[in-house]
Amino acid sequence: MDLLEFARGPALQWAAYILVAGTIWRLVGILLLKEKPDFSEPRARGGLGAALKVIYTRSFTATPFKKATLYPKMLAYVQHLGLFAVVLLFVPHIVFFEGFLGFGWPGLPNNAIYLLGVAMVVASIALLVRRLTSPVLKLISNFDDYFSWFVSVLPIVTGLIIPLRLGLRYETLLAIHILSVALLMIWLPFGKLGHAFLVFVTRGTTGMVFERRGAKT
Amino acid sequence: MSTGNDNAARTYPFYGNVRPILAEVLHAIDRLLETGEPTTIDLASLPFGPGELEHLEATLGTGELSAKLDALGASRISETAYPGVWWLEHRNAHDEVVGRFLEVTRTPEILSSQDADIVAGRARLNDRIDRHELSREEST
Amino acid sequence: MKKSPTVGEILQAKGVSRRGFLKYCATTASILALPPSMIPRIAEAIEQARRPSVIWLSFQECTGCTESLTRSASPTVEGLIFDAISLDYHHTLQAAAGDQAEAARHAAMEENDGGYLVLVDGSIPMGNPGYSTIAGISNVDMLKETAAGAAAVVAIGSCAAFGGIPGADPNPTGAMSVRDLIKDKPVINVPGCPPIPTVMTAVLAQFLTFDTLPELDKHGRPMAFYGTTIHDRCYRRPFYEQGKFAETFDDKGAKAGWCLYKLGCKGPITYNACATAKWNSGTSFPIEAGHPCLGCSEPNFWDKGGFYEPLSTGQFGSGAQLAGAAAAGVALGALAAAAGRRRQAKFTQEG
Repeated sequence: MDLLEFARGPALQWAAYILVAGTIWRLVGILLLKEKPDFSEPRARGGLGAALKVIYTRSFTATPFKKATLYPKMLAYVQHLGLFAVVLLFVPHIVFFEGFLGFGWPGLPNNAIYLLGVAMVVASIALLVRRLTSPVLKLISNFDDYFSWFVSVLPIVTGLIIPLRLGLRYETLLAIHILSVALLMIWLPFGKLGHAFLVFVTRGTTGMVFERRGAKT
Repeated sequence: MSTGNDNAARTYPFYGNVRPILAEVLHAIDRLLETGEPTTIDLASLPFGPGELEHLEATLGTGELSAKLDALGASRISETAYPGVWWLEHRNAHDEVVGRFLEVTRTPEILSSQDADIVAGRARLNDRIDRHELSREEST
Repeated sequence: MKKSPTVGEILQAKGVSRRGFLKYCATTASILALPPSMIPRIAEAIEQARRPSVIWLSFQECTGCTESLTRSASPTVEGLIFDAISLDYHHTLQAAAGDQAEAARHAAMEENDGGYLVLVDGSIPMGNPGYSTIAGISNVDMLKETAAGAAAVVAIGSCAAFGGIPGADPNPTGAMSVRDLIKDKPVINVPGCPPIPTVMTAVLAQFLTFDTLPELDKHGRPMAFYGTTIHDRCYRRPFYEQGKFAETFDDKGAKAGWCLYKLGCKGPITYNACATAKWNSGTSFPIEAGHPCLGCSEPNFWDKGGFYEPLSTGQFGSGAQLAGAAAAGVALGALAAAAGRRRQAKFTQEG
């Protein structure tokens, strides 16, 4: 078995098992927790509507913070949208998804993907620089932040190297790329990248709790 | 050519592999003018889609000079419409194409008489003078 | 060892002019995939070269490789047999048979001891030597006996190079490649099913021209021909970059000649010269004919998943296995939640 066969086969297979099991483990583990007892008189019901409202309103920055957060926010959008576009709109990736979903969708030309990938990496580096130079951000960052950054940027970098070749063989580079994706899949449920599936759960919970307390959301 | 190929050629609108070769030829012409250094491009080593080689040949066109060489099969050496750019096509004894080259040079080397052939030819001529022609003159 | 005439002498005796010789060298450079600037050096080398003796052994094969070789246009196989090499044994092509043929093989081995080339097509059955024999000699015995005095062994075709189709799962004959069995001689792999005819003759031409063996890649293949992928040299590559793909064999994209990646083309991981050397005297190659590359010059190409399965398709189990993983996740989550609830209970005494 060569490296590519290992990457496409067992590595991806186990990464997928871990991704699925890990994600469900974390979701079920959190959702089945008992609610914290709240002995105060609820000011409002704090139902699903409150959750949905906050999920929506928190998608935008509150006015007082707009100016201060504009720079990291722009970068974060480039990073996230770039990542989504590269993962979901590169034709070989679509073929990959089609392989187990049974359906595909139109993609973008490769050059557009390369451009988005580079933008994603540049934005990620700028965000890392910000994290390292801001005393506050540096203080509240731990291994999880840096490692999550690393495993999410790595697949893009290894993917962008494939067309450049850099003296290496295509199948070696492809194998490295797939292995880096496997690493991302394995880490995703357990670190801060878990926000991929937890972001709306936590936001909704916040909305429900806040409305119950009568806070303006 | 099979019908499948003809179909492909008919619907194939793309001559993307021709352009870079033309650019290479342009650089080779510059080199020839500036330093006198000739360039040979082996067309067998380059990718061509259906109709692309023909497209390249048509684009380069035909110039003033064309020569036919008969050695180990036929060869065609012809200047294209762009002086200094030569199209060489070598065929084997079965008339199959065994090599295609673009040469950017003043005269392709293969057109010049080769020293070894000149020496051999001189010897043959000398032989002829010694043996046949002279003896006949003497007898008359 | 008898002194055979040099190629220069042979061509001269045939009345080939210097011009003709230059042409011969230019086409040789072309099939050797050498830059045209090398032509003067090739001319110098070929003049001095002597024809090597070649012994061709056919084991578990389909004769496709010989079929391919005999269709080599440049140089023609006749030209090659008479000018460039001395083909002293090939039981499909030679007139002699039985004892006479074996005698010819032994004579060539004795006369050219240490200097001849052995070409092998087909894999060697190691499960039971009786699966394939020639003149009552098992393949492995004949290979070892003949290779002992050879300068080098050339494994022609994917069967000889990697085991090929006889070696495909479950490998009923215990087929092995030449490299698996010959460890003390240089072995050059020229895989393909079959290999490109000019690539076969080029390896011989290189041996003849420079008396050296070509530079090889990690699978023992000459870099000159197996140095780049089909994908890198494919005329349809621009469509890959543009994201234009044929989805089925008869759609608009297929008719327009778009990239065959989605139809399972193995071009990106297949190292071979098909895209430039082409087949049938330069007519076309599989992708040009509208069919994805099968990757036939790669080890174990037969067992590498479906021919029509796109390269980027993962091979990671079924939906049922993933559902199993999901169930495991539910169980783990429930356990984690139960543990969490117990901790919560301790803090709040709420039960």
